Amino acid sequence: MFTPEIIIDTLADNVRKTGNPFGLKKASLNTWWKDSSLTPDGSTLLFTGLMYQLVPYIKATTKYLEKYEDTPKADYIRYGKLVPKSITNMGLNFISSKEDKTSFNTILGNIARILQSSGVSFAYKPDLDEYSGVLLYDLGDQESFIKHAKYVAKKLQDAGIRKLITVDPHTTYAVKVLYPKYTGISFEVQTYFELANLKGEGNSEEITLHDPCFYGRYLKLSDVPQNLLTNLGVSCTKLNTSGPFTSCCGGPAESMSPKLAEEVGKRRVEELAINGKKIVSMCPICLANLQKSGAEVDDLSSLLVQFV
Amino acid sequence: MTRITPDFAKELKQYGDDTALICFNCGTCVAVCPLISESFPRRLIRYIQIGARDRILENSNDLYKCLHCGLCTETCPRGADPGEVILSLKRFAVATWRKM
Repeated sequence: MFTPEIIIDTLADNVRKTGNPFGLKKASLNTWWKDSSLTPDGSTLLFTGLMYQLVPYIKATTKYLEKYEDTPKADYIRYGKLVPKSITNMGLNFISSKEDKTSFNTILGNIARILQSSGVSFAYKPDLDEYSGVLLYDLGDQESFIKHAKYVAKKLQDAGIRKLITVDPHTTYAVKVLYPKYTGISFEVQTYFELANLKGEGNSEEITLHDPCFYGRYLKLSDVPQNLLTNLGVSCTKLNTSGPFTSCCGGPAESMSPKLAEEVGKRRVEELAINGKKIVSMCPICLANLQKSGAEVDDLSSLLVQFV
Repeated sequence: MTRITPDFAKELKQYGDDTALICFNCGTCVAVCPLISESFPRRLIRYIQIGARDRILENSNDLYKCLHCGLCTETCPRGADPGEVILSLKRFAVATWRKM
């Protein structure tokens, strides 16, 4: 395990200086929209919260961090704060996989296509799409979280945004539950799959759906993707550990202990592999950690986009 | 030897939910916690109840293993919200480090 104080201070410093926990320049982090034809006009905003975009960097960073966990070199991370962000940006872009970036960008492109095909009217403005700050909240850095959340919420409010369409459970929880409580600013928030209106008949495929903790327990949304898939002719394996009793993928431990994240992830993979069906996730953190723990996992959007 | 801070539960209120004293230490949270480590989160909640403030700071690394998955809160028979209590302790630990 890494020293929590050092990790939290590093992440908070990055968010303060660049708006995201990895200290990346937004221009190099958020590029998925360049291949899509999306309108920037409207008060309903597709708000990715940059989570899918961050995953290739999380994967690359933890691959390096794993080597130093529980070694005397682990505390050298504290000096990361002293490295200019331009160097950090260059280094992280160099070590992160181009294939991963393409894959996670494709997921976001698919989500936009699902919304368009469902007749949902929405805008996308890259300059308004910000990281929510939710990791700082989860780690207990309340002061840094509130400061960042207020900045993001006010920026959206000033731009006339009233409704947010979200794509991952952590950002959804942040903007739906935490922002009204800690910033005093509320938006109407819905996930893309709540708005998906797709038609078609599947090939009676059965899949195993992994419910993320924040959709299953905190937001009670597990029924929505399940019903959506059932209506499309895709059935979902019945698991005891689903909905409010879903098991964690281990991903949230990634920043403090990649070893622990993988250990918890492997246990979840065993539960999900019960009948050998395709495993489907709807959270970028779950997707990456379950893959890292040895499972083949698809994102929900890559299944839904087949019905567009 | 552990120093006891009798008003610690009151001090903790500024960091979040005030539910630690409701816990009757049944251990359901320990049984469901994916960490499978020594009596987590019950042990830390017990420290709040007895005012073992320093012991919590000594064991603060354990707090950051918590995945904030919420399964303990979902299954707690007392509604003591162990997940949120742990989050309050994380906030307490961060605020304490920053005051040092």
